Amino acid sequence: MVIIEDLTIGYDSNKPLVSIDKFTVNPGEVIVLTGESGIGKTTLLKTIAGLIEPISGKVTAPEKRGELGYIPQNLGLVRHATVMHNVMLGANAGHKQFWTPLPSSIAKDSALDAIDSLGISNYKFKIVRRLSGGERRRVATARTLAQKPKLILADEFLSELDEKTKEKVQSEVLNYITNNNSSIIIVEHDLIRAKEMSDRLFMISDGKLKEHLTEEKSFSSVANEEE
Amino acid sequence: MSLLDNYYFRKGRNISLFLLLIVFTWAIFTNLVDGDWGSLENSIDNLSIFFYESLWPPNWQVLQPQSYPPCEESAIFDFKCSTAWIGMTETLKIAFVATIFGMLLSLPISLLAARNLNPLWVSYPARIILASFRSLPSIIWAILFVILIGFGPISGTLAMTFYTVGYLGKLQYESFEGISKDPLDAAEVMGLNKIEKSIGVVIPESANNLISQLIFMFEYNVRHGTVIGIVGAGGIGYYINLYLKFLQYDKVIAYLIIIFITVVIIDLISIYARSFFTEKENLKRPTWRTWEEIFIPEFLRLKYKKE
Repeated sequence: MVIIEDLTIGYDSNKPLVSIDKFTVNPGEVIVLTGESGIGKTTLLKTIAGLIEPISGKVTAPEKRGELGYIPQNLGLVRHATVMHNVMLGANAGHKQFWTPLPSSIAKDSALDAIDSLGISNYKFKIVRRLSGGERRRVATARTLAQKPKLILADEFLSELDEKTKEKVQSEVLNYITNNNSSIIIVEHDLIRAKEMSDRLFMISDGKLKEHLTEEKSFSSVANEEE
Repeated sequence: MSLLDNYYFRKGRNISLFLLLIVFTWAIFTNLVDGDWGSLENSIDNLSIFFYESLWPPNWQVLQPQSYPPCEESAIFDFKCSTAWIGMTETLKIAFVATIFGMLLSLPISLLAARNLNPLWVSYPARIILASFRSLPSIIWAILFVILIGFGPISGTLAMTFYTVGYLGKLQYESFEGISKDPLDAAEVMGLNKIEKSIGVVIPESANNLISQLIFMFEYNVRHGTVIGIVGAGGIGYYINLYLKFLQYDKVIAYLIIIFITVVIIDLISIYARSFFTEKENLKRPTWRTWEEIFIPEFLRLKYKKE
């Protein structure tokens, strides 16, 4: 799904943020990235998404329309449009090969399913800027689920949610990954949740991407390192 | 240099630059006046003589029906046959049509001109097209269209449409470029094409600004409608020009007062309309009580019972 080889990323070639020798993501895998703030997690996601050119090396990721879903840290929602409009953007990317003025019924159904599954159907015609932070996070997640991508890049998509909603959103996303044999790379600061969700947990420190075993012992060492 | 020293250095530098700007401006003004300060001496007296002898009081005959063609309105509404009413409504119609036509034409060009949507080799030519529309003032466009088409509101409408394309187009692409990068990034990663990004992300994200600019442009076109009328492109300006030629300044001032009142009314409506499209949800929306606060001194205002 994703193959990274000899990659160096960053915004300035003189100050590379992260170097990765080899990193692969297989279909059906849940990868969680963790590490201190400003260490380069978001930059790595953006590089995989193709939004930032790597300083050197190669990234292979799904390139076709609708195959890649992205939930940015700031959500990237159209704030002056309705929830339905935002979710339809994802649905159109996933279910229509080119732009047509009329929405397709498959895209519409997919959008409504995603909205229902995340419990936001009550305000699907509300303007996004009038929603709370948590509600907006669910809208961004619904947009990506409606797209039915092969790979999801989710940057702290569970923050600002209460525990109950977190559980619901997390289970919906992970169910989607399992049922569709898709993959997801999640940036997450909550180590307990990171361990709970991930098939493989990675940590960025000292400019390197390091894999950590998700066993209790090694995990506590990750937590200590984080502190 | 410590951070605090740096802060004071920057503050001092900014104040010095501001003072330098004022000195520079005054030097240019002195150069323009070229020692002829005497011309300013009698200016107030001249204005006073002109005002009381020629302008005041306004001649409200402009609100009376014209003798020809015969007025078919009832006595209460016979002002609708007056030159002021006919001219002002024509100006409003020209401004409205030109604003909408201008918006329809400028929107696709400004989408091309937005640098966050298109590469530079697309956006710069689009900007040059908009700048070329804008570089000629509306009155020059009006003269061109009067030569091409002849006197009348069609020339006025086309002239104002062309100017609107240039002016509104610039405001629009500035708005498009000002939207947050995140929705565009998300759309880019999803694989949406440029049309989808424009219609699905950029236009809705800047919709509030676009509507606000449209209302502002209508206001602007109403004000400028009076100017283009002077060269024969229709509207109330035609009558102003007519009476200026006959040196009937008392009628001209009456027209100007009517324009002023109309612009103020449009301005108030526009503040109200724009308040629906502002980002700040808690911004005070004008109500009839606001007008009361503006126009009526506190001791004369009605007292309201608290609920």
